[in-house]
Amino acid sequence: MRGSFIIKILTVWGMIIFLQLFAAPVFGQVKSYTIKDGKMFIRLDKNISDASLDSFITQFNLSDLGLWDFLRKNKVDSVVKQGWQVVTESETIYVISKKIESISDQTNITAKNIFNHQDLSFSALFPAVSNRVIMGYNRFKNKDAFRHNDSIVTFYLRGHKNAKRAYLAGSFNDWSPAAQAMKLTDSGWIAHVKLKPGKYWYKFVVDGNWMVDEDNQLRENDGRGNINSVFFRTNTLFSLKGYTNARNVFLAGSFNEWKPKNLRMNRTADGWELPLYLVDGTHMYKFVVDGKWIRDEKNPSKAPDGVHDFNSVITIGKPHVFSLKGYKEANRVMLAGSFNDWRDFELPMKKTADGWELSYVIGAGNYEYKFIVDGKWISDPGNPLTPNRDGNSYLIIEPNYTFILKGFENAKQVYVAGDFNSWNPTAFPMKKTKEGWTFRVHLPMGKTRYKFIVDGNWILDPDNKLWEQNEHRTGNSVIWIDQ
Amino acid sequence: MFFTLVSPKQQEAALPSMELLPADSVSCIIPFTRAGNLIMVKARVDTIDGNFILDTGAPGLVLNITYFRDYPTTESLDEEQSGIAGSAVGVKRTTVKEFSFGSLDYWNQKADLIDLGHIENSKGVKILGLLGIELFKQCEMIIDYEQNLIHLHRIGRKESSGYKHSLLEDTSTYRIVPFELTDNRIIVKTSMAGKKLKFVVDCAAESNVLDSRLPNKILEQVTITKRVVLTGSNNRKVDALFGDLESIKIGGEEVSNLPVLITNLEYTCFAYAGCVDGVLGFDFLSMHKIGFNFVKRKMYIWK
Repeated sequence: MRGSFIIKILTVWGMIIFLQLFAAPVFGQVKSYTIKDGKMFIRLDKNISDASLDSFITQFNLSDLGLWDFLRKNKVDSVVKQGWQVVTESETIYVISKKIESISDQTNITAKNIFNHQDLSFSALFPAVSNRVIMGYNRFKNKDAFRHNDSIVTFYLRGHKNAKRAYLAGSFNDWSPAAQAMKLTDSGWIAHVKLKPGKYWYKFVVDGNWMVDEDNQLRENDGRGNINSVFFRTNTLFSLKGYTNARNVFLAGSFNEWKPKNLRMNRTADGWELPLYLVDGTHMYKFVVDGKWIRDEKNPSKAPDGVHDFNSVITIGKPHVFSLKGYKEANRVMLAGSFNDWRDFELPMKKTADGWELSYVIGAGNYEYKFIVDGKWISDPGNPLTPNRDGNSYLIIEPNYTFILKGFENAKQVYVAGDFNSWNPTAFPMKKTKEGWTFRVHLPMGKTRYKFIVDGNWILDPDNKLWEQNEHRTGNSVIWIDQ
Repeated sequence: MFFTLVSPKQQEAALPSMELLPADSVSCIIPFTRAGNLIMVKARVDTIDGNFILDTGAPGLVLNITYFRDYPTTESLDEEQSGIAGSAVGVKRTTVKEFSFGSLDYWNQKADLIDLGHIENSKGVKILGLLGIELFKQCEMIIDYEQNLIHLHRIGRKESSGYKHSLLEDTSTYRIVPFELTDNRIIVKTSMAGKKLKFVVDCAAESNVLDSRLPNKILEQVTITKRVVLTGSNNRKVDALFGDLESIKIGGEEVSNLPVLITNLEYTCFAYAGCVDGVLGFDFLSMHKIGFNFVKRKMYIWK
């Protein structure tokens, strides 16, 4: 190996000095990532500290390589399996190398897009309305947050009174630069826009020049370079009466990963408050008053927090009733699912005359869940959407789309599978109706890929012209859900 | 319900602003939106309207086959589209009766039909196709990344050579770099560590790219910042590296600390007329404004 030859002509000391140019390692902590002869080289000191190795793995994105096993247990399996060659340079320095292969085995046009891998998707950056945005709040200076009244939000641009014309462009009007004219008032320009609760991006276009809202401190880069202002149409007002002598009060909850110093509440005449946008569903929270966590005493709704206390609970949207018949002799039944990150201590069910029940608010979507009866995880015996006896049960909240497969009258069993159920081939059985085989499901905004499974055979939707190629080269049907 | 305040007609009227010019020359300003680092413009294929990606790395018009399966096709074994092992990949080709964007119209325009599902899936947005070089060969195009606008001017055959876009009047604000058009690709000459290198200018490449097979003298100038795993269209995964290139000369001007993706560009030897050593993509092009005069074969880089 030529790479190893180069190392051998250097003394260990020499190499440490050489490597300091790249990674500034401390003695005994040699670590470097270089490229030579079309190959990547990772050099590591066997005695590298845990902290140093951890930061190296994070910095260079190497968590899948198995470097811990390699350095600490001398296990090379994972490294070798991923195509790396291992060379022991000296008793203390290990080197692994790998040739950089060509990605393209198709046309260069289609290959190019692989370079996008790490970007946020367009819908995450520029949705017409919040898509997968869990929460948000506004931060304005020099002017109040835009007010809303019956869903009509009044956007306000301070000053620029000498401008000839001003327009409002944003995610809510397709960024059209001249679609929404603003009206001149005595202190600036205003425009009314009807907005549902959610997150929106906007800019002002003043005499042809695009500009961010200087008075709005919330700005987002749309990928690289281009900055837009961000506005949240809020739907929830958190308030805490009293504590007027507190230095600061924060709100922390399931919606911000319980970060204690992230959502600062505003001081009012008799307490603290914070208007927030929250997505439909059930949210847990507490207030943090000068560092001390307290529950919202004003709110009777609460749930165990897993450490012998309770969180306050707020729900937005309609509740779904989960029920489990029987199990009368059980002591404790819990509900856990994809809607609460499968936390098994959070949602105790209540005993009823013939079993257990819990009313729980979940936003629109497709979910998986299970019950936990005295510590044992079981699927929902009353839910037909349970593909395997020991598997998860499926739940569809606010279905907005009906899949229909015409014909196939003689088929015994037809399923639909796609992005919405992780392509589980037996989760969503279709019903035989007059129109054909049907199934109702919730589809998010944007693209959904799917197929039908007729008596075990995967088929494209014969009534949908749109399909795209998949990795098996058998195609997937495609539909787009618009706003 | 968000669009109640905006009638569709108003939106349409707001799109291209036209100027009156001699018979066959046309000027328009086309607003664009961004999908990540990609430039998206509205265009129309016969009766279908939708988003297209401006792609100076594509030789011509490409349609996403998902939406144009019923168009009549001819299969061509095109050398440009050859796969890595030299085995030719058949590309379906069709003809679009009328294709238009901004105030430019094209009749009986040839187009490749390719599955662009992977771009849609990574961006979450519907893509009808790609706008490649062939469409711009008679044009001057200035992309203003700050204002999200494309200034497009089709240079008329009888138009005097004195034509100059107003943005190009102040010559101190930009510099001119000549390019070659080879197989409908923009190729610029650069130099690094005393070596001459060929780069493709591709506004739809989200990173600049450098070939991993270049001599060590050049690779030594890159400080590796991160490893990435790229996924090909067939789900095959390969390693690549992000790094910062200390110095590269483009059009006589020194550019330092250019972020690059280092990957094996072997395939370009088959896909292009000769290999290319790298790609100048979004990171480089989007700093301010960038312009191309495809008739004079000149690139304008704003400072």
